[in-house]
Amino acid sequence: MSVPILSIKNLKKTYPNGVQALKGISFDVKKGEFLVVVGLSGSGKSTLLRCVNRLIDPTFGEILLNQGQTKTDIVSLKIPSHIRLLRQNVGMIFQHFNLIPRHTVLSNVLMGKLSRISTFKSIFGLFSQDDITDAMKYLNLVGIADKAHMRADQLSGGQQQRVAIARALAQNPQLLLADEPVASLDPATCHIVMDYLRKVNQELGITIICNLHFLSLVRQYATRVIALRDGELVYEGDPKNIDEAWFEKIYGVGTKEVYIK
Amino acid sequence: MNVYTIKRSVLDGFTFSFLVISTLIATVQPSDEQVLNMKFNAIIFFALYILGIAISVVLNSNGIATLGETLFQPPYKKSPETKSWYKTFSGWQLLAIILGLVIVGLVKTKFSIYELLNKDGFEGVIRLFKKLLSPNMDILPQAILDMIETIFMAFIATALAVPFAFILSFFSAKNIMSGRIPFMIYLALRTLFNVTRSIEAILWAIIFSVWVGIGPFAGMLALMIHSIASLAKQYSEMAEVVNDGPIEGVQSCGAGKLQIIWFAIVPQVILPYIAITIYRWDINIRMATIIGLVGGGGIGTLLIQYQGQAMWPEVGTIILVIAVVVWLMDQASAYIRETLK
Repeated sequence: MSVPILSIKNLKKTYPNGVQALKGISFDVKKGEFLVVVGLSGSGKSTLLRCVNRLIDPTFGEILLNQGQTKTDIVSLKIPSHIRLLRQNVGMIFQHFNLIPRHTVLSNVLMGKLSRISTFKSIFGLFSQDDITDAMKYLNLVGIADKAHMRADQLSGGQQQRVAIARALAQNPQLLLADEPVASLDPATCHIVMDYLRKVNQELGITIICNLHFLSLVRQYATRVIALRDGELVYEGDPKNIDEAWFEKIYGVGTKEVYIK
Repeated sequence: MNVYTIKRSVLDGFTFSFLVISTLIATVQPSDEQVLNMKFNAIIFFALYILGIAISVVLNSNGIATLGETLFQPPYKKSPETKSWYKTFSGWQLLAIILGLVIVGLVKTKFSIYELLNKDGFEGVIRLFKKLLSPNMDILPQAILDMIETIFMAFIATALAVPFAFILSFFSAKNIMSGRIPFMIYLALRTLFNVTRSIEAILWAIIFSVWVGIGPFAGMLALMIHSIASLAKQYSEMAEVVNDGPIEGVQSCGAGKLQIIWFAIVPQVILPYIAITIYRWDINIRMATIIGLVGGGGIGTLLIQYQGQAMWPEVGTIILVIAVVVWLMDQASAYIRETLK
């Protein structure tokens, strides 16, 4: 539990329009933890996650990915094929699921194999039997194997997010990034999805970094929490220690916590 | 000096020189030789243009807003109160330019009420229509055969254009071509398409009839070139407005550029692409008829042959066949596009 799988040092991101989304953030992510990032909208949470799998190019700093023997500095990757190789090891799920609506659930999960199959084969849909078996295994894990041949846009929000989890797992990642995974779901579905994330974390040992809005969910699921405010790290520690004073520091004076059960 | 004063000067200068020159021509009544003396006329035109700009600047700096000022001034300069148009300079300026344009237009098109109501001419038209409306059905088989040629000309032109346009469309979509060199390619392609489209298909038909000889092949090639440019432009506009979510999703799985296009963009654009293609086929059938007039083969060529010999009943048959096919295609393509939505 003590080896950092990811160490981020002085990470900065300035967008072309001059907005400083991250102003020099440093923290470690230990192997096997369920790290939750909290903060207001616009505090830099999404930018932070997208820097880790290079959907966004950081402006400055260092992100070291520790894969046993080899250490990669994610920020210094330049060649597209190296970035693709990085994304093999880092899965991601999104607030709006980002599935391909017109494709089947199974073919969406097979997207997770894209970085390991030649472009030619993938375009003609020539996925190997092993890939399909693997995809079905993860659909089973998130409990929707029976929907494998339905179109993705016919599923409910919670089911779509579970497909997205299966897709990320099909990449066989060491690290799973979750950007507001339950923000567009109702409270009941929200817990189902969070429970599956915990299952992935505990049973498969995949390290998770997850952006969340609700502190009640944070206390329930996180093993550790960091808080961002205006692109700066303002809290790092145990979720149980976030009291009212800390809450005001993270979210601003005069705000009240909302609980979801 | 900013962009809006340039726009203002262009418009006001043009208004002034146009009105003065029109009045000059009407009063002086120059000979044909004088009118064709481009050098001299250009000098007068630009001298007046500069004079017009000067007047515009003087008027505006004295608080009298010209038409250019009223149209192009930035919102923060607009005065909150509105005056009736006949109390403003710009209102009278607008009226003068519209009147000027209409009068010059009528003179240039040799508009004549007298010719329109001429009894002989009118009777001629009635004779023509009588013949057109008693079509000679003997040539119906030939007309149908040539119409089929036209339909297939349009079909093959569309079908051959689709693969080219499909591939080119992704290279000319702004959201896909991010980065400096890709953006240059995007700009170059867009310019190429616009130039190609601005040359009418009928001109392409003339070019190709010199190249491959008069006939349906030349017409088909002309339509194909025109279709590639039009389809690629319309396709790429569809590709530019796709939802970014699936792109991000597939990207995060480590997909390459080609895989992103195939898995995240193509599923989103395929239905609009089909609808656009069917509409293009519909347009091409109408264009193929016109192209036939300059020797592009098909029903158009047949039409121009009979028209040249003033064989109006035969022309009537051909027009009937064209009308029926165009109407049917129009209905069918509208129906298919509706079901695809």
